[in-house]
Amino acid sequence: MIFRETSLSKNVVQFCRFLRKQNFTVGAEEELAALNALQAVDYSNNQVFRLALQAVLCRSRAQVEAFEPLFNQYWKELAKAVDSKVKSNEEATVKPASKAPSFRSLKSWLNTHQNKEEEQTALYSFHENLSQKDFSLVPADELEELMRTIKAISKRLAAQVNRRYKQTNKTGLPDLRRTLRLNMRRGGELLELAFRKPKRNRTRLVVLCDVSKSMELYATFLLQFMYSFQQVYSRMETFVFGTSLQYISPLLKQNNFEQAMRQVSAAGESWSSGTRIGESLNSFVKEFASRVLNKRTIVIILSDGWDTGNAELLRQSMETIKALSRKIIWLNPLAGFTGYRPETAGMQAALPYVDVFAPVHNADSLRRLSRWL
Amino acid sequence: MSTHNTNEFQLSDIRSLLAEQGYISDDAVSMSVFLSLKLDKPLLVEGPAGVGKTEIAKVMARALQTDLIRLQCYEGLDATHALYEWNYQRQLLHLKMVEHNQQSVDEKEKTIFSDSFLLKRPLLQAITHHQKPVLLIDEVDRSDEEFESFLLEVLSDWQITIPEIGTINATHIPQVILTSNRTRELSEALRRRCLYLYIDYPDFEKEWLIVARKLPGVDAKLGQQICRFMQNLRNMKLEKTPGIAETLDWATALSALHIDHLDKTVVEQTLGVVLKDWRDTRQAQLSLSELFEKTGVISKIDV
Repeated sequence: MIFRETSLSKNVVQFCRFLRKQNFTVGAEEELAALNALQAVDYSNNQVFRLALQAVLCRSRAQVEAFEPLFNQYWKELAKAVDSKVKSNEEATVKPASKAPSFRSLKSWLNTHQNKEEEQTALYSFHENLSQKDFSLVPADELEELMRTIKAISKRLAAQVNRRYKQTNKTGLPDLRRTLRLNMRRGGELLELAFRKPKRNRTRLVVLCDVSKSMELYATFLLQFMYSFQQVYSRMETFVFGTSLQYISPLLKQNNFEQAMRQVSAAGESWSSGTRIGESLNSFVKEFASRVLNKRTIVIILSDGWDTGNAELLRQSMETIKALSRKIIWLNPLAGFTGYRPETAGMQAALPYVDVFAPVHNADSLRRLSRWL
Repeated sequence: MSTHNTNEFQLSDIRSLLAEQGYISDDAVSMSVFLSLKLDKPLLVEGPAGVGKTEIAKVMARALQTDLIRLQCYEGLDATHALYEWNYQRQLLHLKMVEHNQQSVDEKEKTIFSDSFLLKRPLLQAITHHQKPVLLIDEVDRSDEEFESFLLEVLSDWQITIPEIGTINATHIPQVILTSNRTRELSEALRRRCLYLYIDYPDFEKEWLIVARKLPGVDAKLGQQICRFMQNLRNMKLEKTPGIAETLDWATALSALHIDHLDKTVVEQTLGVVLKDWRDTRQAQLSLSELFEKTGVISKIDV
């Protein structure tokens, strides 16, 4: 096994492969670009060498931030690998267990997994089951898989909603009928032209998500859904509530979901607390409604309706929201259970104003959302 | 015509060119600009608003002594607005004029679908320019995903097909810079086409350098105080974090008022120059003493 390549270019290629293992999108094209870049600069200067590789190999802010530590780690381990190679004749046979873990990681990226593709296709096959599993029952090891599914569903859905009203890709097409009408008074001389353009979907979504204790098991998945949706669909305002209301759209507009989640949960004291839907919706009505609601807005409320607050306040707020918006969709994770009846005081107060009442308890139910949007 | 041959550039040249044009950059910026020129790859610049992303393109155009062609992206921007449109009115008038000519229909058609009736929009302008231009595609994250894929196609083929004329190949491949405020995640495919550069808010030293360079008349003490104050302000969780433009505006405003140091009344009265959201203003006013303490403590050590 070769731990160290003697020529610089081979080392750079190995470094690229190392980055690939760290989820950098580095292919042959990038390897080539890296080598070309090095030809253009004075790479004997360590700083210049690193910056040149960084400029060519990074694709996002997260990668830029991760690059320097990875760079240092790689070249350090490479240096170590050189030392150990010299000693390996005596030691390797005696104490194979003493291999440093860094050594193993180097080895693992040197041996590229050939059957990786197969593994992945095998993984996708249990999607079917996973999609129908209630969010609260998903085992920890399938979490990541589910998150990826939700992300995909969400993006497809958002793109669909985005596209709905667009009839054609070509704009600036002359509208013959209107053109003739316009020019009638000029004796049929076609001077003024009328154009037609595709209609744009101006539907705005306002999402209010319950993140109280009773929703704990669902909130993370729903937030992942909203996060991915917002990435594609820009006309969307997102709020979370428990005991109080919090506006999180700016936090969701980040490239990294985990980071966004951390900030969302750090900023709100209502996370995993009690629920006061009435008070929360009321503060939404007071502070935001006039700004974010209009007759083209669809309001989506994600909550189980378990409420410790004021039911009358909830009723009033729902009435106002209903009057200001086009449609209210209430998505309730509990509605996925057969035999569920919306009998809590909160649900009873809210239901008369709800246009669509539907379950969100698994990935499939998210997929079906397109029907209402 | 004096055009630079981009292949003769060295990294140090770029650095000094950027500096000459008044752009205070760090090594990562000049490296990315340099390699983008050298490898002939588009440069994608991301970062918060007001850190000088657009400025890089302007500087690059001046440095290369060429023209800057700008395509401002917005929601709903589509191919026609970025490429070309036919000048319908002119075509109609022309047809009216040649109505009684003996020309055949074919000939007439040929005339009205020629260059002089074509309204070139930025992308077509860029690829038919008489010299290698800098093409700035500003705020690409605001455009739709469809437009992004269209852009990808143009950026890889460098040719545009107009049905009535045929395929137009680029006379010079433009130097492309794309900027994004990260309001939406750009596609992986577009990212892979480009070199990537992230520009963050400047640190104190860099910001003070920028202020001193752009506003030579500003009192040094005031300028440094403003920069420190801005650094602390940016650490707060604000709806709209102020950028360098706000720092410069503020410094200009305060020196126009002949103020030579910051105090609470001055800040309270002029905070509107820096913060543009009422919640931010309220938050900043509430923690003004704290902000001052931070600003003050640092300056005592320094001075």
